[in-house]
Amino acid sequence: MIFRGALAILLSIPLILSASTPLTIVAPAAPGGGWDQTARAMQRVLAAIEPGASVQVDNVPGAAGTIGLARFVQSERGNPNALLVTGLVMVSGVITSHSPVSLADATPIARLTGETEVIVVPASSSYRSMQALADAFKADPGAIAWGGGSAGGTDDLLVRLMAEQLGLPASRVNYIAFAGGGAALAAVLGGQVTAAVSGYGEFAGQIAAGELRTLAISAAARIPGIDAPTLRESGIALDLANWRAVVAPPGLSDAERDALTDRVARMARSDPWQKTLEQTGWEDTFLAGADFRQFLLAEQARIEAVLHRLAASDTAPSRRMTMSVVPMTLPITVTSLFAVVLIVFLIQRRSAPRPEPGARRPEPGVVILGAALLIQPLLFTAVGFVASSTLLFTVGSHALRGRGWRAGDSLKDIAIGLVFSSLLFLVFSRGLGVSLP
Amino acid sequence: MTDLWRGFAVALEPLNLLWALAGVSLGTAVGVLPGIGPALTVALLLPVTYGLDPTAALIMFAGIYYGAMYGGSTTSILLNTPGESATIVTAIDGHQMARNGRAGAALATAAIGSFVAGTLATLALTLTAPVMVRIALAFGSAEYFALMVLAFVTVTTVLGTGPPARPKAASTFAEAPADKSARSRRSSPDWLRAKADKNLSGWLSLLLGLMLGFVGIDALSGQARFTFGVPYLLDGIDPVIVAIGLFAIGETLWIASIGPEQDQPLPVNGSLWMNAEEWSRSWRPWLRGAAIGFPLGALPAGGAELPTLLSYAVEKRLSRRPEEFGHGAIEAVAGPEAANNASAAGTLVPLLTLGLPTSATAAVMLAAFQQFGLQPGPLLFEHEPALVWGVIASLYLGNLMLLVLNLPLVGLWVKLLSIPRPWLYGGILVVASLGAYSVHRSAGDLILVAVIGLLGVGLRAVDAPIAPVMIGLILGPAAEQHLRRALSISQGDWTVFLTRPLSATLLAIAAVALLWGIFRRKPPSTIGA
Repeated sequence: MIFRGALAILLSIPLILSASTPLTIVAPAAPGGGWDQTARAMQRVLAAIEPGASVQVDNVPGAAGTIGLARFVQSERGNPNALLVTGLVMVSGVITSHSPVSLADATPIARLTGETEVIVVPASSSYRSMQALADAFKADPGAIAWGGGSAGGTDDLLVRLMAEQLGLPASRVNYIAFAGGGAALAAVLGGQVTAAVSGYGEFAGQIAAGELRTLAISAAARIPGIDAPTLRESGIALDLANWRAVVAPPGLSDAERDALTDRVARMARSDPWQKTLEQTGWEDTFLAGADFRQFLLAEQARIEAVLHRLAASDTAPSRRMTMSVVPMTLPITVTSLFAVVLIVFLIQRRSAPRPEPGARRPEPGVVILGAALLIQPLLFTAVGFVASSTLLFTVGSHALRGRGWRAGDSLKDIAIGLVFSSLLFLVFSRGLGVSLP
Repeated sequence: MTDLWRGFAVALEPLNLLWALAGVSLGTAVGVLPGIGPALTVALLLPVTYGLDPTAALIMFAGIYYGAMYGGSTTSILLNTPGESATIVTAIDGHQMARNGRAGAALATAAIGSFVAGTLATLALTLTAPVMVRIALAFGSAEYFALMVLAFVTVTTVLGTGPPARPKAASTFAEAPADKSARSRRSSPDWLRAKADKNLSGWLSLLLGLMLGFVGIDALSGQARFTFGVPYLLDGIDPVIVAIGLFAIGETLWIASIGPEQDQPLPVNGSLWMNAEEWSRSWRPWLRGAAIGFPLGALPAGGAELPTLLSYAVEKRLSRRPEEFGHGAIEAVAGPEAANNASAAGTLVPLLTLGLPTSATAAVMLAAFQQFGLQPGPLLFEHEPALVWGVIASLYLGNLMLLVLNLPLVGLWVKLLSIPRPWLYGGILVVASLGAYSVHRSAGDLILVAVIGLLGVGLRAVDAPIAPVMIGLILGPAAEQHLRRALSISQGDWTVFLTRPLSATLLAIAAVALLWGIFRRKPPSTIGA
């Protein structure tokens, strides 16, 4: 108990430093990607301009951010202290992955940045210009492996739109999806893919160090500080910007939404944020309120049209992945194997009956404990952590004791369970800012 | 080298030493909490460092990171509740050691092993970072897939790991079979019979794990698989949740179901510390763990799961007592814990040299650098040598502090086990459900953890081993992704795995390991014989 006390004191240090409720920014991509960088830049700037504010970043990677979006909409509903970083990739990701949850399920807050896409090759590559790469691509589309972010994301879209501009069907593109820009960066540095496409920020460090060569940018006009021509200059009539924005969970009141919007707007106007934009090469495209909601709808419509054109040219996401191993190949194989092994296993067991069948008779306490475990999730949200945990502790102790029910035992169990749960509750919710119901 | 000495000069300044100490203490304290792994610890404590100057902040930060790594294994060993995927493997044998009365030895070997491996890996980081990163970048999807095949072949030795069939009332390794209690004697026919179909049940568990791994949105195509229209399942199934369910909840239910327990606390057998035999069984796994952990941690798609699993499998293969694995073998704690800490240092290679965060924890580290306007990457060593080397030097010191801090704590932690058993396991249930919740703060995880817990009882009831479920769940999704990515890059050409030298070499090693395993298979030995 002395130790618990010491622990509580130690844990209260962050509490003292962070007076307000912590803000959670969800980056729905693997660490190192553009959404992750945006989330962490926001974390840094908010900490700088709001003394004492506690901001944490959660990474929930995969599937164009729709995994993160689904979890965000589900588990943060009504939480006015949560933001999700989103962008163009998620708009298309929702469509290609047939996500049941879309951006329309979240509360739009503000668009923050726009970023040009860059097309890079390793410094050792023989492709010295976009034209050279485009010529080789036209000659043998499959031979150029393009690395980038999630399937159906901005990077994927850009490569397929380029293919169309060059007169190739979008379905001929050999596009390798990685979980995020960080993973694609490793692949292009290691020469695993011919070229990589991503936001400028994700490659900026390597470009500056001379490890990567920039062939072209996807912006409409040249950008100061980036030594590369636009796609249009390189003979490909196309421009595409990768915008990033933040949304809040559904179920917020108008007041809560406006407060969050104000907080984000203050951040976007601050000097540290402007300095960050300068460092990362992101363009300030701040847009909030009704304008931003309008913009989201327009983007949704535009992306949907683009994707339908891709689908019409026979590029359904499931068919354009790999030649021999489609997404369901391995799951079906493994499930069939499991069924076979299970049947053989059951036949074997039947032929060799247990030597002591009596040993398998469950104790009554265990049945109650099993039931308690299954209703625990309900109780947890309904009556809160302390009460539900005290119950679990009591039932668990009773089951372990394994001798009939005695009032004295249970009273002691309840008392200890209550003290223990309360202590944990205090440590987690007060000390660490991990909110428990 | 002179750079490193200059770094030590920075790290040894009294004030910086104090920050390092504060960092490791905080890191350990938060790291031991259930469901709070290093990444979350570091993220929660990041704001603490905001007010400091860059060097002091990063030194404190490195301390928090290493401290959290140390703290993480404590809940695995004492409460069977891993806080993050890196310590799942530790829980398999670590908690069995605690139940055999050797919690002190398990904690000590974890702490000393972490120190040894952490120091060696930091040394490797100092000396080989530029070379390591070149090798790491040569790893493409074909190589990763070959590595996964090798891992699968190696870890199939773990398939025979039987469940902890019966609580061995109070037997240490020393007094093993001769004077077992009546309860475990009663169970031995069971155990022998289980040997017959142990391989089949092992495969059953492995396939179950693989199936769990497919659940969720496919990262390569965005297609939902095995989700049955349940949005919660789109997220996939987190190995940590499954581990908490199978280990902590499954085991508690199982113990309760096989009959009344005494009110007495778990025994403490022999000395609190490691005895001579445990020392001699630990030091090789420490070194091997470090050798496995550092290079795999340095890979851009690395992480701590693969090295810890591989270390477990390697130790079981090399052990003269493989039958003890799954029942509290000290090698199974020493190796994976060492591999875990070494891989953490390995993670710093791509982070510092490429600016490439390869784990959630590394990403938070990246944020810590960026808050001072520092961009880790090829130019960082040139622009900020004093700071980088100061941080690296502080890693050595932090490791040493952690050892000094944690060894006395071992005694305190072991006292926790002197709680009467019903209360201890009641507490484990509460801690496990809290841990499961705090990983993602999702009530859905509580349902999953309960269902997996019941599944764990079912597996134990049919004498199926538990570890292969975790293997399938951890290795399966990674292997599938790399296979499909490699085939995509090669445009469907399967020979890519043989024409790339690194991949071919790895596959050849896997083939040799497979054949060696077949021809070297010993006749089934009776337990402890």
